[in-house]
Amino acid sequence: MMIIRAKFFSQIRRPVVLALAGLALAATTAGAQPAKKGPSPAQGAKAGAEIVEADVSSRAIAVTSGFTGKEIIVFGSIYNGRQGAADAGYYDVVVVVEGIPAPLVLRRKSNVAGLWMNTTSVNFDLVPSFYALSSTAPLDKIAAPEVFEDQGIGFDHIRITPRHAVPEAEMKLYREALIRLKKNDKVYVQNQSGVTFIGRSLFRSSVMLPANIPVGLLQARVYLFRKGALLSTYTAQLQLEREGLERWLHDLAKKNSFLYGLLAILTAVAAGLLASEVTRRRPS
Amino acid sequence: MNIYLPIAEMSVSVLLFLGMGGVVGFLSGLFGVGGGFLMTPLLIFSGIPAAVAVGTEGAQIAATSVSGAIAQYRRNNVDIKLGCVLLFGGVVGSLIGVQMVKILRQMGQFDLVIALSYVTFLGVIGSLMLIESSNTIRKTRSGETGFGRRSGQHSWIHGLPFKMRFQRSKLYISAIPPIAIGAFVGFLAAMMGVGGGFIMVPAMIYLLRVPTSIAVGTSLFQVVFITAVTTLLHATLNQTVDIILALLLMVGGVIGAQIGVVAGVRLKGAELRFLLAALVLLVCARIGWDLVVQPAELYSISPLLRGQ
Repeated sequence: MMIIRAKFFSQIRRPVVLALAGLALAATTAGAQPAKKGPSPAQGAKAGAEIVEADVSSRAIAVTSGFTGKEIIVFGSIYNGRQGAADAGYYDVVVVVEGIPAPLVLRRKSNVAGLWMNTTSVNFDLVPSFYALSSTAPLDKIAAPEVFEDQGIGFDHIRITPRHAVPEAEMKLYREALIRLKKNDKVYVQNQSGVTFIGRSLFRSSVMLPANIPVGLLQARVYLFRKGALLSTYTAQLQLEREGLERWLHDLAKKNSFLYGLLAILTAVAAGLLASEVTRRRPS
Repeated sequence: MNIYLPIAEMSVSVLLFLGMGGVVGFLSGLFGVGGGFLMTPLLIFSGIPAAVAVGTEGAQIAATSVSGAIAQYRRNNVDIKLGCVLLFGGVVGSLIGVQMVKILRQMGQFDLVIALSYVTFLGVIGSLMLIESSNTIRKTRSGETGFGRRSGQHSWIHGLPFKMRFQRSKLYISAIPPIAIGAFVGFLAAMMGVGGGFIMVPAMIYLLRVPTSIAVGTSLFQVVFITAVTTLLHATLNQTVDIILALLLMVGGVIGAQIGVVAGVRLKGAELRFLLAALVLLVCARIGWDLVVQPAELYSISPLLRGQ
C-alpha cells in the first residue's frame, strides 16, 4: 500500500506544478502586454488618454453538487472617455474570460482494418480550459488580425502550442479540431455583440460559465480599442472553487484515494444491506 | 434536476441516471443477472468517460451483489474455501486488469479495447444463450425432456497437482483451475466493469463440476469481494470511481430489481433467456456499429495522464 500511495503522490505533483507554471506564465504575459503594446496607464494618464478599468460581478464562485453553471457580469468604464452617447460607437471593447491553461491530448481516429481507432495524437501543454469572447462588434470590424494575434484574442489567435513540433498543415487541422471540440463542449464561446455600453463610459458584458467549466482561476481581460488601435487593457480575476460535499469528495479522491476507495466500498455495502433489509421486511 | 459528478467532472440529469439504474436493475431482477455488462455500455453511450464507467460500475455491482450473497450464505450455498481460492486468483487478475486500464488509457486505446471486448463477449454469450434458449423452447413445445448433465467424468483437470478438498462442493481437485478461472474473471471485472458471474457460473459448473446451486452462491460471494477489490484499485490507481454516480445507479437499481423480480415470476425461464439473449445481441450490435462506421468527429480530447 505504501508503494501505491507514494506513486500516487508523485503523480499529482506534476499537474499542480504545471498549473502553477501556467498561472505564472499567464500572469506575466498579461502584465507585460499593456506596457509593451498599448500605452501604459501611467503614460496614458499624463497625456489625458483613455484608460479602461473593469471588474467582475462575483470574484468567488462555489461549485457544489448542484452547480449548473453561473452567469457573471464583466463591467467597466473608460477613464478620460470621449464618447458622446452610449450608442455612439466611438470605442470598441473586447472582453475575454479565460480559464487556467491545462495540458491535454488531442487524438485523431483513422480506419485500420475496418475499425475506427485512435492512430495519431498531439500533446499540448497549455490550452486555455475556458475561453469566452465577447465584443461590441465582430472582431474583423474592430482591428486588424495582427493586433489580435499580438494579444492572443479570438479563436484564430488563442495561444495553443504543441509539446513537440508538428508540420504546419497538420497543426492547422489539429488546431481547428481542438477549437471545434471545445466549442461543442460550450467551453469556447463567442458573442460578437456581447459587450454593450450603458452610459458614455460604462459598459457591461454578461458571460455564461457553463456547468462543465473546469474549476480554478479565471482571468477576465478587457481590451479598449479606438479605430483599430489598442488603447488600454485591464485584467480582473475570479476564482471557481469546489465547495461542500463536492469539494470534500474531490479532495479525498485526489489526495487520499485509498480512503476514498474504502468509502466507495462501504457506501456500496451499506446500500446493498439496506436494500435487502427493506425488501425482507416487506410483507410478501 | 441536475447533479455535478465530482470524478466524471460533468453535470448530469439525476432522473436519467436513476432511470438507467432502474431499467438495468429491472432487467437484472427479471433475468437474475448482475447487469454490469449492460450498465457499463449504457454509461459509455450516455457520455460518461469509459474509464469512469468501468471504475464506478464495480461499486454498483458490489452493492447489488451484497444482499444476494447474504441470502445465498443463509441457504448454505456458499463454498467459502472454494470462494477464497477463486478470490486469490481474482485479486491477481484484477491487479493486472487495473494496470492494463492505466496503460491503455495512456496509449489512448482504452475505448477501443473495451468496445472490442464487449463486442466479443456480448456476441459470444448472446449467441450461445439464443441457441440454447430457442432449443429449450422448441423441446418443451414438442414434449421432449432435456438431457441431464453427465457426472462423474474425469478430465485433464483431475490430473493437475496441488489438490485441495472442497467439502461443501464435494470436490477434490487441483487448486490451479479455480485460481486460473478466478484470475481470468478478476481481469475481466477490472477491465470491463462487470461482476463476471456470467463467466464464473458456467466455468464452475462445466469445468470444475461444482453443483449448480453452490456455483451460483459461491460466484455471488466472490463477485462481492472482487468488485470491492477492483473499486479500491481503480480509486487508487486510476481515480475513476465516482461515488455520486454509483449512488444514483444503486438507488435506481434497487427499486428496478424489486419490480423485475415480481415481473420475472410470470415469465418462463427459456423465454426469459431468449429475451435476454436478444437484448445482449442488440447492445453488442450497437457497440460494433460505432467501431465500423466512420464517426462524425474523428478528433477527441482527453486529459494528459502521467507518463505521456
